[in-house]
Amino acid sequence: MIRDFLVWLARSVGQVGSEYPLSWSEALASSLNFWGLLEGTHVLTLMLFAGTIFVVDLRLLGVAFKRTPVSVISDRVLPLTIFGLVLMMATGGALFFAKPLLYYHNLWFRLKLVFLVVAAINIVVFHFRVQRNLPAWDNNPKPPIAARLSAMISITSWILVIMFGRYIAYDWFDCGKALPHWVNVAEECAISEHGAVDLEGLAK
Amino acid sequence: MTMAPQDFFPQLAGWVANLDDVFPGKQVKPFFAQWEVGHILSLIVLGGSSILLNLRLMGAGLTEEPTAEIHRNLRGWMWAGVIGMLVTGLMIGSANAERLYTSGAFSAKMVGLVAGLILTFGFTLPTAKAYGRMGTGERVAAVVGLAVFALAIWVFLAAKLSNPGLWHVITAGALVALYVTRKRVRIVYASGLALIIAAQQFITHVIYKFDDYASLDPANKAFAWGFVAWILGAVLVQAVVSGRDDQRGAFVKIAALAALLVWVMTAAAGRWLAFA
Repeated sequence: MIRDFLVWLARSVGQVGSEYPLSWSEALASSLNFWGLLEGTHVLTLMLFAGTIFVVDLRLLGVAFKRTPVSVISDRVLPLTIFGLVLMMATGGALFFAKPLLYYHNLWFRLKLVFLVVAAINIVVFHFRVQRNLPAWDNNPKPPIAARLSAMISITSWILVIMFGRYIAYDWFDCGKALPHWVNVAEECAISEHGAVDLEGLAK
Repeated sequence: MTMAPQDFFPQLAGWVANLDDVFPGKQVKPFFAQWEVGHILSLIVLGGSSILLNLRLMGAGLTEEPTAEIHRNLRGWMWAGVIGMLVTGLMIGSANAERLYTSGAFSAKMVGLVAGLILTFGFTLPTAKAYGRMGTGERVAAVVGLAVFALAIWVFLAAKLSNPGLWHVITAGALVALYVTRKRVRIVYASGLALIIAAQQFITHVIYKFDDYASLDPANKAFAWGFVAWILGAVLVQAVVSGRDDQRGAFVKIAALAALLVWVMTAAAGRWLAFA
């Protein structure tokens, strides 16, 4: 069902009657510079988003800005992080819209989404549980274990999101290639345009 | 006119062609993607440190702390980012040398890197350490860094098919200006910016057809200069206005803006290498 929706998104949305009608998705993917500008913005915004969230996490780990209250770092740095996140989600959403089926059947994209969810859950837990008693440890050079653990999960999950995001560009596990069975299953290659070719089946 | 390394150093062609067959390019090639991730992570560490330090020098961001305190906390990360970026960049470059050798965007990236190093280590770090006060050395470094940055932009402009990447620098400059301007200056700046964006959209989407590149190209270039003038004007006005009651002065703020944008430019040139 998800794939059907994505096929519609890729091929039908915005299509108008002409000799060679392009959908909006196809027009975006084949644009001369716009796709490149979106992708470039997505990557460059990492400097703002991840660069600033790492500073907040380092404070929570008790590694940097130990003399500065956690609340000051949060109040001053997190707005920049949130702005970066909004920009990343907007450009990321547009990039997905340009090639939805390619991303849908991509192992790295799926792993990226998994760790985006982990990072999001971590943010929710930190916001509603860990920092509930922030005034008690706001000035501590080394925040409590729960805050440090949250910072560690944040740094790790964002590094993995970035790493898997970069790997999307590589065709190591593209559907249609001879792949281990578990990869074909994980990417749902059987329902993709290129089909599933099992490495184990070929070997037999 | 192209400004790829091959235009300046044609005698190196044979050596460059062989680089990915010898150490370290040969060893890096199978793990190119992993080295790339290292390059991006280094850029992130450098970017985050540079953003917070330079915004503070411009009078924004972590204003509860003096610049010297931010310097004390971030200088190590700044160094780690720069060293990581240089090491991973050399490794990636050695495995991909022929592509870089023929790219004008790579020349822009290298000139930008020199400007970034001068501005970061000659201006940002020592000025932040001295609570925003500039000595003669920092002043000279800022002037030289600005000149090299201008040269890098000129080289980027000449890099056909890659030069749309300069829109990243303009966008970043526009956002920084929006963040650091205050009160009436911000309102006037934001209104003018919205007007220029609307005019650009109207002219490039309504007046000219989407495939009329002969008209679209000069129109977009004219708008790019318009954006640059408007952004720099706003930052200059804000720097002068706030500089009156601020010990840091206008020049520190302009140099800090350049020290921040130079890394955006260097990263943009690196990204657009892949598109051209």
